Amino acid sequence: MQWTTLFKKEMVESWRNKKLIWLPLVMILLAIMDPISNYYMPQIIEAVGGLPDGATFELPDFTPAEVVMMSLSQFSTLGVLIVVLVSMGTIAGERKSGISELVLVKPVSYGNYITAKWAALLLLVWISFFLGMLASWYYINILYGDLSFGSFSRIIFFYGLWLMFVVTLSIFFNSMIKTSGLVAFFTIATIMLMRVVTEVFNHILEWSPNNLSNYILEMLLTESIPSNLIGTAIITIIITATLLIVSINTFKSKELAN
Amino acid sequence: MQELFESINWALITPLLVIQAILLLVALIDWAKEEETSGPKWMWFFIIVFVNIIGPVLYFIFGKRRD
Repeated sequence: MQWTTLFKKEMVESWRNKKLIWLPLVMILLAIMDPISNYYMPQIIEAVGGLPDGATFELPDFTPAEVVMMSLSQFSTLGVLIVVLVSMGTIAGERKSGISELVLVKPVSYGNYITAKWAALLLLVWISFFLGMLASWYYINILYGDLSFGSFSRIIFFYGLWLMFVVTLSIFFNSMIKTSGLVAFFTIATIMLMRVVTEVFNHILEWSPNNLSNYILEMLLTESIPSNLIGTAIITIIITATLLIVSINTFKSKELAN
Repeated sequence: MQELFESINWALITPLLVIQAILLLVALIDWAKEEETSGPKWMWFFIIVFVNIIGPVLYFIFGKRRD
């Protein structure tokens, strides 16, 4: 009961500050930008000119799988950045302004407080990502060729796990640090560090969450679910759960110390 | 340029433009209702209107005062 109240409060808040409207819109724009601009690239080059006479410029024909990966790489860069910026103040800001103290003065459990925030944020991000990919899927089917519903839903599921990891990481730093700018910095820095470490030790860290999108590409090309993808998904879920438990505990100890 | 405009299938592009317009509009309505923004209010107006897509996003993330 208490959890539902907190969760509803979060959803009302993201409706009031329009996150629930603008985040989906931006995600849709991110997702469809590349499919459309690549489709019109020959015309754009022609109109802009710049190519000397006689020079021919062969543009590759993109397969649906490649175009999906373009949309996903937008999510992996700008999308993740926006998600981190949106979530940076969710707890840190409340602690700074004292709202969290007002909430936690009442018999609200720390676990409920954190998980309600986490779930509301995750729902917001997942809705936005889903709508973005839906729009991208629509354009891919019109412009590039068929992408089956099965592939589409698997992309949603597995890439959704990566976004869940990003959200959880942000909540984790939120529970430790009071300055929202620093929360964003540490979240981004951790993701980048993980990418570098994953690339350097790729033979050991085959199931690092950063590999999710590589395996998604593999899944699209082979049209079957590679076993590495399942392994990575399980690891991602385990890390996410651990981070969540750790954040509840750090938040508890930080608040009690105050 | 003329050819470019003729060769474009507007049925494909219109949704893109409509979504950008909605984003701009939502940001402007929110901006108009906000009594105080972080930083001068008129500055955000120009950012929202003249910086395509990124302007409204910047406003929503950094322009609104947290209190």
